[in-house]
Amino acid sequence: MEAGRAGRAISRRSFVKAAAAATALGAASPWWLNGAMGPLLGESSAEAAAEPLPEEWRPTTCWIGKQDCGVLARIVEGRVVKLEGEPAHPRNRGTLCVKGQAQIISLYDPYRLKAPLVRVNEKGVPGQFKEVSWDEALTLVGDEIKRVRAKDKRLLVWQKGRSKSEPLYDNAFGNASGAFKLGHGGYCSDAGYRAGEYTIGLNGVLHPDFRHTRFLLSWGWNAANAGGNKLCWITYPRQFLEARSQGMKVVALDPWRGGLGPHADEWLPNRPGSDLAFFLALAHVLIQEHFVDQVYLKNHTNAPFLVQPDGYFLRAEGKEQVWDTATDSAKAFDAKDVTPALEGEYAVGTTKVKPAFQVYMDHLARYTPEWAADATGLPAPSIRRLARELGRNALIGYNTVVNGVELPHRPVSIMAYHVAQQELGFQAVRAAIQVFMLLGAIEAVGGPRIDFTYKLHGNYKAFGDFKITDPPDNIALRGSKYFPINSSLPGMVAKVMLNPAKYGVDYMPEVLIIHMSNPMSSYADTPTIAAAYKKYKFIAVIDAWLSETASLFADVVLPAATMEKYEGPMAASDQYDDAQAMRVPLTAPMFQSKGEIDIYMDLCEKADILYGKNGYIDEINKQLGLKDAYKLPLDKKPQVRDIFDRWAKSQGIEEGVTYFEKHGVRTKGFVSARDFYGYAKTPPFEGIRHRFYGESLLRVQEEMKKKGAEKVYWQDYTPLPTWRTPTMDKSPSQYDLYLISRKKIEFKQSRASFIPLLAELAPEQRLDMNSEAARARGIKDEDEVWVESHHALTGETRKLKVKVRLIEGIRPDTVSMPHHYGLWVHPWAKGQGPTPNSLFFAGEGYITNTQDQSFQVKVRVYKAKEA
Amino acid sequence: MAKVASEPKAKGYGTQLSRRDFLRVGGTAAALGTAGFLVADRFIGDAKAEAPTPGKVRYGMVIDLERCFGCRTCMEACKVENNTTRAVFWMYVFRFEEGRYPDMQVRYLPRPCMHCDNAPCVKVCPVGARYKREDGLTATDWDRCIGCRYCQVSCPYSVNYFNWKDPKKNQYLDWKTPEAVEVRQATKGVIPPYKNPDLEERYGKEKRYIAGSGHVKGVMEKCTFCVHRVEKGLMPACVSSCPVGALIFGNLNDPETEASRLLRQKRFFRLEEGLGTEPRVYYVGSPPPGASVRQIEGIVGRV
Amino acid sequence: MDIGTANRIPYGVGKWGAGWQVLVLILLAIIALGLYAYGQQLEIGEAATGMRDIGTGGGAAWGLYIAFLVYFVGVSFAGIAIASMIRLLDLEHLKPVARMAEVLTIVALILGALSILVDVGQPLRALLYLPRYARPQSPFFGTFSLVVSGYLFASLIYLYLDGRKDAALCAQVPGRLQWFHRLWAAGYRDTPEEKERHRHTSWWLALAIMPLLVLAHSTLGFVFGIQPGRPGWFSALQAPAFVVLAGVSGIGLLIVIAAALRQVLGLKDQIGMPVFHWLGSLLGVMTLIYLYFMAVERLTVDYSGAGLEKSVSEVMYTGTYAWLFWGTVGLFVLAVLVLAVQFARRRWSLPLIVLSGVLVNLAAIGKRDVIVVPSQTHGTVLPYAPGVYIPTWVELAIIAGLFALGTLVYVRFIKVFPIMEVSYTTKGGAE
Repeated sequence: MEAGRAGRAISRRSFVKAAAAATALGAASPWWLNGAMGPLLGESSAEAAAEPLPEEWRPTTCWIGKQDCGVLARIVEGRVVKLEGEPAHPRNRGTLCVKGQAQIISLYDPYRLKAPLVRVNEKGVPGQFKEVSWDEALTLVGDEIKRVRAKDKRLLVWQKGRSKSEPLYDNAFGNASGAFKLGHGGYCSDAGYRAGEYTIGLNGVLHPDFRHTRFLLSWGWNAANAGGNKLCWITYPRQFLEARSQGMKVVALDPWRGGLGPHADEWLPNRPGSDLAFFLALAHVLIQEHFVDQVYLKNHTNAPFLVQPDGYFLRAEGKEQVWDTATDSAKAFDAKDVTPALEGEYAVGTTKVKPAFQVYMDHLARYTPEWAADATGLPAPSIRRLARELGRNALIGYNTVVNGVELPHRPVSIMAYHVAQQELGFQAVRAAIQVFMLLGAIEAVGGPRIDFTYKLHGNYKAFGDFKITDPPDNIALRGSKYFPINSSLPGMVAKVMLNPAKYGVDYMPEVLIIHMSNPMSSYADTPTIAAAYKKYKFIAVIDAWLSETASLFADVVLPAATMEKYEGPMAASDQYDDAQAMRVPLTAPMFQSKGEIDIYMDLCEKADILYGKNGYIDEINKQLGLKDAYKLPLDKKPQVRDIFDRWAKSQGIEEGVTYFEKHGVRTKGFVSARDFYGYAKTPPFEGIRHRFYGESLLRVQEEMKKKGAEKVYWQDYTPLPTWRTPTMDKSPSQYDLYLISRKKIEFKQSRASFIPLLAELAPEQRLDMNSEAARARGIKDEDEVWVESHHALTGETRKLKVKVRLIEGIRPDTVSMPHHYGLWVHPWAKGQGPTPNSLFFAGEGYITNTQDQSFQVKVRVYKAKEA
Repeated sequence: MAKVASEPKAKGYGTQLSRRDFLRVGGTAAALGTAGFLVADRFIGDAKAEAPTPGKVRYGMVIDLERCFGCRTCMEACKVENNTTRAVFWMYVFRFEEGRYPDMQVRYLPRPCMHCDNAPCVKVCPVGARYKREDGLTATDWDRCIGCRYCQVSCPYSVNYFNWKDPKKNQYLDWKTPEAVEVRQATKGVIPPYKNPDLEERYGKEKRYIAGSGHVKGVMEKCTFCVHRVEKGLMPACVSSCPVGALIFGNLNDPETEASRLLRQKRFFRLEEGLGTEPRVYYVGSPPPGASVRQIEGIVGRV
Repeated sequence: MDIGTANRIPYGVGKWGAGWQVLVLILLAIIALGLYAYGQQLEIGEAATGMRDIGTGGGAAWGLYIAFLVYFVGVSFAGIAIASMIRLLDLEHLKPVARMAEVLTIVALILGALSILVDVGQPLRALLYLPRYARPQSPFFGTFSLVVSGYLFASLIYLYLDGRKDAALCAQVPGRLQWFHRLWAAGYRDTPEEKERHRHTSWWLALAIMPLLVLAHSTLGFVFGIQPGRPGWFSALQAPAFVVLAGVSGIGLLIVIAAALRQVLGLKDQIGMPVFHWLGSLLGVMTLIYLYFMAVERLTVDYSGAGLEKSVSEVMYTGTYAWLFWGTVGLFVLAVLVLAVQFARRRWSLPLIVLSGVLVNLAAIGKRDVIVVPSQTHGTVLPYAPGVYIPTWVELAIIAGLFALGTLVYVRFIKVFPIMEVSYTTKGGAE
């Protein structure tokens, strides 16, 4: 692209100005004039053209967000002066989001970590560090890794925040070192992913097939503000608007109106934590009004399987039985030309059996909209009407043709990312999936999708029969009688570390490596986590900024590069068009920082786990699936660029990594319907039966009981989603408000509240409160209040001070805070106010099933001066 | 004492004399500006831009409120592209609430400079620093502005931003601190490190100093529609960055541009048309914000 | 002709008593402070003031400087108006205060010019570009060029002609100031012809000045009155109201000065009470007219209740600026009452007249702020958050410095030239 020109001109002009100043006013100092008189001296007339500066536009991948958008960077004299969107990238199509634009200043942020640091003061207080050489720092960490690995690999814990690419160096390190891995997933939508894997067999959370969806139930702020499943922000609104222009109707289900802006046709402000009840009521009406896709249920789910009174399937020769209406007898579900019944009660020998669907119908009988009105705070008629609209728009029985494949057409969908972030998350998502199973919409054209392409996930089978290890063999209680399905919630891990005996855990981890994660602010239940981190003997932090966690607990801090490094590979699909991308450095790493892969290779070398079989390099080979011809030699440390060059060539790109350095993104064309829709597989859904009825959940429940787990652990392992009042509602009545957290578009998916350009847009934390509710409490706009949360089981209370913003777009019984802020190390983070994360509780009562974090808690709010 | 020649009375006598006296009084008063009129060229930036004539390029912006998600990306894109300093929002995005719970709406409204054809700011500028370009852009000459801020008080949309401080001292980060030593080395001490060189160029056939921001203390600045990009054939930064394509920029005299097409196909409004400012920014996809709108998440910049 | 008594210049010209010296020192100190403050403003930029961007800046772009620009130019009304009225309407009995008024005009205009310079962000550019690139389309053209230049120019000439005779007289007295008086007299002999010529010229000048007067103060009104984008400003009444308010503040200040000098220079015999009666009545009438204008303006706005106009009114009546608005109104009303009572009872007391003069000037200053600020902080057409404007010490110091400078110039003039026609030294005045 065309080059600008200035550098020389600037310097020349300023010289002229200085001269002008001198001549004009003798000794007048420059600020008197600051170039003001230039024009009078004929200097404003057209600049003599200086020759162009060295300027280029280079492609790379955005660093700050979650979905790795394509970036074109304008570089002048080696300075990055602007980041714009890469037009060829399917996810952002030449655009960039607010964070993507602002990150340019953080690339040059003088308050980034500049050199490896070693702690010189005690832990638990704001840290003082001394700069040391990379070698010294790496040796310290490497020795610690060696020390604990020699004892017990489980003593080494590795914790990472949001991934910036497909798993590579992280998994490689985990595998090579045998470290126990903690993701952020427990705070994300893991329960949703697990529900997807368990019920449908795919790894993901419900999101719409926007190109064909015409009726969208939009849960929370996703579509407008958060993106969701595997994507960040830009892509969803773009696809959302396309669908809108095709006439998609949108119903927003959210206690807080904000996110969806003007883009919702209807707003249903439901009570926090009541989503399960809501979905059950929807299903109730759908069945009542016969919006049921019998063909799908009979052929692709276990709905027709016969269930015995004890809740288990009726089996013969290990095969689940269905009731064949043709022969009026029980037959194996996969027997030839069987026509299974969905309803009714039958007798097989002496046992009375019902199809799972009948059990479901009986189960739903009590969940009427009128019943749900209490739980959800939504008027029964609205629920009824919404269910009818869903049913009518589902076009049950209609087919359509996509890429020459005839497929069921069910243009109704839901965007349900993060529904999981509540106590009953797993079952709530299951209930949502069931609603769309009734309509036969799952993985149909226009229906809810779970993954981008149809890939069966290992967990589908694994969840068929849970294995329980007792006592637990790990601090996350994975596969234990407490949390058989498990997301390794760091908050729960902290609770275990603080009381291992209670959970029968017989060891205490000693070394923690934290990678680009800030548990002291980003995760819920920060007080518990802080207490637990005191127990680590040694903590190393790899980050680009000195995180609050590092300041409080790190023994060693290793400076990581931000966007100025090789990283990848990146999935670049927007679900319709597939592509691959890479992050390539625009400049040399700032300061002494290094790219992660460099850091891990050096670290592994120090810890003697770099070379040889199952060493780090070997793991890189595996993670990248390099063809033998391109495998890295296991005996010598490679250049990072060389790693990706081999990967690219192994992918069949002759130019190697140069291709990405030139083009940034490699588009692969649209995803064919055959890979896209489960229905388009032969056989459909690769022949699996979707788990409409969760028999194995019942089995694991009894297993847990047998092993002596208390009710709080097993109560929600029910074959069919069953409503119970969330634990938080047991808090005393003076805690009369629900606190929910959310994301702000300015900061979401990144620790960004201290990036000056963004901080200016949303300078301070605010508690969103309904104006009427506030008036009732004598609270005025911008008043400072205490928000005090209450633990319904332990009675523990926590509080923080924050300013109020009165709005109309929120339920009167709900208050909301974005879960950003609460940082204090970076100069721009000071005085921004608290994060609500310290008010939430992890562990029993606030997590269940999959051990996922609930971002909901009962609070009371009162004026600060009263305290 | 000087002698006064006794002269015959005659008509106009007194005036003659007093005229002579004037001269004696000397230049003191004259210096105070009267002389200025003689050299005054008062035809720069005539207030009323000539009526758009077909064929001639007349830029304008269309903002599709049906698409805007209020994400404020345009604001950031503008800040980086034009190197605007703290508390300066050439592009600003309002977030509104309308109505009461639960019957309420949330709406967004991006607000660039309206580049009015009948611009109050151009009319009141005492030195012609604020002027209309032939292509419809309302520009500010950083070399000409005297910083009287009349344009700012005259603008109904409050799009003007004054350099209350030396721009170098109003940066988001202090690039001169010891902490920034390595940054200065890496960027040859340019402030800010992402400084856009194009902003120092002269633009238009009149070759005036009108692009970008953060140039001179005590001078007024505002949105330029990224004149430096437009003259290169690029879209303004806000437009090219908008993730949802809510901002459309183009030649409104050319019926083939997307902008013109939208104005033909959709109902549009302009802000405060009643004031007769003839803005060149058109809004489609939603009725104008009513009197009952309340701003939420508003920004108050701190210089 | 001769200067009469003891062949020395009257009214303490050239004599610096201790009191005067103290006064001068105090003034110099305040000026120094003002200069320091201005230095700060140049150094830091106008971030040193309380002004900020309108809209997202949450402030007002014009503040005290503009308010006082308007005030100073307003005050300048008095001199030239009185002077020309004396000529045109043959108000002989006002002649004693004529020169005081003329000097007041000139000083006020200089302060006006300076307050423009301290307000603009680029003072040097302003000096050079305002004339070089002057645009008549801008109301500021009127303010800068017409008022501050033309008006000042005319006033200087007026003062010059009016003072020529006394200059000639003073020039007879040997002393350090003789050269100055000679230069001024420029060979004037006070022959009948010369007398006639001066009368003649001044009469025409007076006639010419009257429209200039109206024009000048109207232009200032236009600066605000023709801005449709600023609720609270856009009004046809601004121009006339500015003319009248100018008169009110100008005459008010003239009364104060006249009374002060009468006291200090012991001019009881020369400036008789009738002068004050007349000025007092004039002040009363003009203040009433202004109050009437205000009432009309407020009624027009509030009756219609037009949205934004209303919000500006509310913030003035009950909001942030209530104290300022009602304070202003209160002062005006009080002044009128004080004068009206005396007028009705035909019994005038100098202190009371002076008091009303002070009151209306305070009110005038207040009113200027009420005009300038609220429409910016609360008159945004788009729903920005309301703004705030609180002047900083820099602004206050600079304004104080300007007042001190004005006073100093005035005092200096008194000491180099008779502030009243020499002829009045002898009872009964000239001839």
